[in-house]
Amino acid sequence: MSSLYDRLGGAKAVDAAVDLFYRKVLADGRIARFFEGVNMEEQIAKQRAFLTMAFGGPNNYTGKDMREAHKRLVAKGLNDMHVDAVIEDLSSTLRQLGVGENEVKEVAALANSVRNDVLGR
Amino acid sequence: MALLTYREAVIDIEAGEDVLSALLRAEIDARHSCRAGVCQSCLHRAVEGKPPPAAQEGLSDAQKALGYFLACLCRPETPLAIVPAQEAGDRFEVNVQAIDRLGGDVVRLRLEHGPDFVYRPGQFVELIAEDGLGRHYSLASHPEEDSFVELHVRLHPGGRMSGFIAERLTPGRRMCIAGPLGSCIYEGIDPDQPMCLVGSGTGLAPLVGILRDACRRGHRAPIRLYHGVREPHGLYLHDQLETLACERENFSYVARALSVPPPEGGDVAAAVLERETAVADTAFFLCGGERLVTRLKRELYLKGAPLKQLRSDVFAPAS
Repeated sequence: MSSLYDRLGGAKAVDAAVDLFYRKVLADGRIARFFEGVNMEEQIAKQRAFLTMAFGGPNNYTGKDMREAHKRLVAKGLNDMHVDAVIEDLSSTLRQLGVGENEVKEVAALANSVRNDVLGR
Repeated sequence: MALLTYREAVIDIEAGEDVLSALLRAEIDARHSCRAGVCQSCLHRAVEGKPPPAAQEGLSDAQKALGYFLACLCRPETPLAIVPAQEAGDRFEVNVQAIDRLGGDVVRLRLEHGPDFVYRPGQFVELIAEDGLGRHYSLASHPEEDSFVELHVRLHPGGRMSGFIAERLTPGRRMCIAGPLGSCIYEGIDPDQPMCLVGSGTGLAPLVGILRDACRRGHRAPIRLYHGVREPHGLYLHDQLETLACERENFSYVARALSVPPPEGGDVAAAVLERETAVADTAFFLCGGERLVTRLKRELYLKGAPLKQLRSDVFAPAS
């Protein structure tokens, strides 16, 4: 059986999802404040990296990177509720693109696997 | 020519090795993160040679046309000379042809250049007055129509470059430019796709270049140009643009001075957000001060504009 990344459509699927996903995140009142004043191009590149990882694609992200990148946000109060919100936005993006429920669950599980690193635990 | 040249130095690269690995092996502190073509932090630009298409995966059409590529995905088969994405690259000597006052505190510089300097309308250059005094300016000229490059310079009281231009620059003087830089150009646009150009202050300069390029390439859909300034005298191309709007059926021009109360004046960003309704299908070009560009980019994106259609160029003040 082919990998999750291939089943979703690889880099093209990341392309299709990233605009929708990041727009949902910015419009999500629960988490929008963490994205205030950020450079959108840099942020989109990071979101692409995140989606690639969550889609099971090639990535070199390490727990250390994740901790380092979110340290500032944890200090601003980032917690489990916010991670839940991101995973929810991700799942609804995929459903909107017509991705099947099994794949949505797999992606959510991969996204969830970095929770402790993101929250610095 | 060697297979890989970085700035001026020849870099050893093994068969099948990627450019990023070769740079790091040569102890060059190249920016990078994911090493998988995703994060785009290892973006570089080829100043000579053509990067393989596989190294341009995920970049914009404009970036591809201008030779940008991702070092971690780049396995060159033909010689490449490269620089980091933000670096201006080669210097070119230019001859000051004319210095004219346009309106408000804006001056138009026309500089004659040799055939070696190649650019696309809407790009910018570093203008170098003397060692240690260089500033970025956008190009309002068109390489196929003009024998010079045209820069619009706002004179800031007390600014070093402003002082140099106002007091010491005369026609006939030789100067240097470096570049071109930037990827805010007419590329990857459908001739039937509406265009919306928004500029504040001298952010109008690149838009004039892009507008001329769009017309020259036979753009058919409407082109709407918004110019925002503080005071009405800052609308330094008002008459020319009004005339053009009368002559060309698909071109319209909206001017907004902040000091004039709405509806004639006011905030240009508010005018854009109110008038632009089909944001998902429009090609946007946003040029000027950081606050305006950042705000519009975010608001238009949230209204449904794809990020790829939000081309922008932020004018950072000299530090």
